[in-house]
Amino acid sequence: METEEQARNRFQSELEFVQCLANPNYLNFLAQRGVLRERPFINYLKYLLYWKEPEYSKFLKYPHCLHMLELLQYEHFRKELVNAQCAKFIDEQQLLHWQHYSRKRTRLQQALAEQQQPQQQPPPHGNATTK
Amino acid sequence: MRLKHEEEESLPVRAAMGTAAEKSTKERLLSVLDDLEVLSRELIEMLALSRTQKLPQTGEDTQILELLVQRDREFQELMEVAQHQGKVHQEMQLLEKEVEKRDSDIQQLQKQLKEAEHILATAVYQAKEKLKSIEKARKGSISSEEIIKYAHRISASNAVCAPLNWVPGTNPLLLLLLLICSSASLTHLLFSGDPRRPYPTDLEMRSGMLGHMANLPTNGVNGHLPGDALAAGRLPDVLTPHYPWQSSDVSVGMLPPHHGNDFGLEPPGHNKENEDDVEAMSTDSSSSSSDSD
Repeated sequence: METEEQARNRFQSELEFVQCLANPNYLNFLAQRGVLRERPFINYLKYLLYWKEPEYSKFLKYPHCLHMLELLQYEHFRKELVNAQCAKFIDEQQLLHWQHYSRKRTRLQQALAEQQQPQQQPPPHGNATTK
Repeated sequence: MRLKHEEEESLPVRAAMGTAAEKSTKERLLSVLDDLEVLSRELIEMLALSRTQKLPQTGEDTQILELLVQRDREFQELMEVAQHQGKVHQEMQLLEKEVEKRDSDIQQLQKQLKEAEHILATAVYQAKEKLKSIEKARKGSISSEEIIKYAHRISASNAVCAPLNWVPGTNPLLLLLLLICSSASLTHLLFSGDPRRPYPTDLEMRSGMLGHMANLPTNGVNGHLPGDALAAGRLPDVLTPHYPWQSSDVSVGMLPPHHGNDFGLEPPGHNKENEDDVEAMSTDSSSSSSDSD
């Protein structure tokens, strides 16, 4: 049985490690050393899925890591990560998404607002005609 | 005269019971009628004969007459019996109708009960489903304050959304080249890229607990040379070795789930944990970099 101190250290190290998975270059690094092929590591990745629970996920600073963790559960993804081009592509896409995220969201909100506006316009027109 | 069919039916029953002596009323009536017919024919024949032959057979006349009277009496009795039986039959029919009516009532009730049962069953099922979803919703409830706090945390640190003035950096190979040339005038150009990323950078990883455990040699394996960021002076975070993503403010109650399993085995959860395996794994991955080259 581990002591509380040990448990806390384990918590912190697992927290750090799971967030490192958000770094596609690091994933490529692991893949090239064959770490992603080891059965114990694959089991460990499955175990790390507990970070998806709300009581644990609130400690994550880099939420992209959860998506990467989910993808890492698939063998195909782990195999592909050996290619440096694959890692570069993921990195580029991740950065682009990160860059344009706020713009995408404001556009989405504008679209939603526009959808609601036409519903409000007809009633005023109706009043005008009755006059 | 109408003859009831149940008298006909009763005969086979009685025959089966072995009482051959009890004939049905219809048969008895018919036999009496036959007798009457025979007797009256005989009488008429005798009367016809006595006219032509004048034979002294007075005894037979009276005999036949007596028989005739007897048969007539029997006939009358049988008719009464038949009438009585007719009434009984009518009552039976009425009762049968009653029974039919009751039967249909019962069937109607049965149908209604079935319907009611069906409706109740659906209602109960839907109520159970509702309760389940309520339970589920309650379990997943999070205080809005916590959500807002977390949202602020991940947004303010630019972990999910790039800062508005973010500019992508230059090619790392170019950086390396220029570093080798160590041209001071160009270093400013080099480091116009923003090192901030939506993931922990090489530098951040090495400054953390795992990094210190592994004691990595400095190399640019992950695409981010530690030297560039240092030279650029863009290091407000580096000086504080403790990043927020490393959570020094872990609440005492918050501990990782106990894994009583050895990750080397396929089905988890049966062996006592060997924690060293886990620690070794995380250090292995980072220390393996020292094995390269």
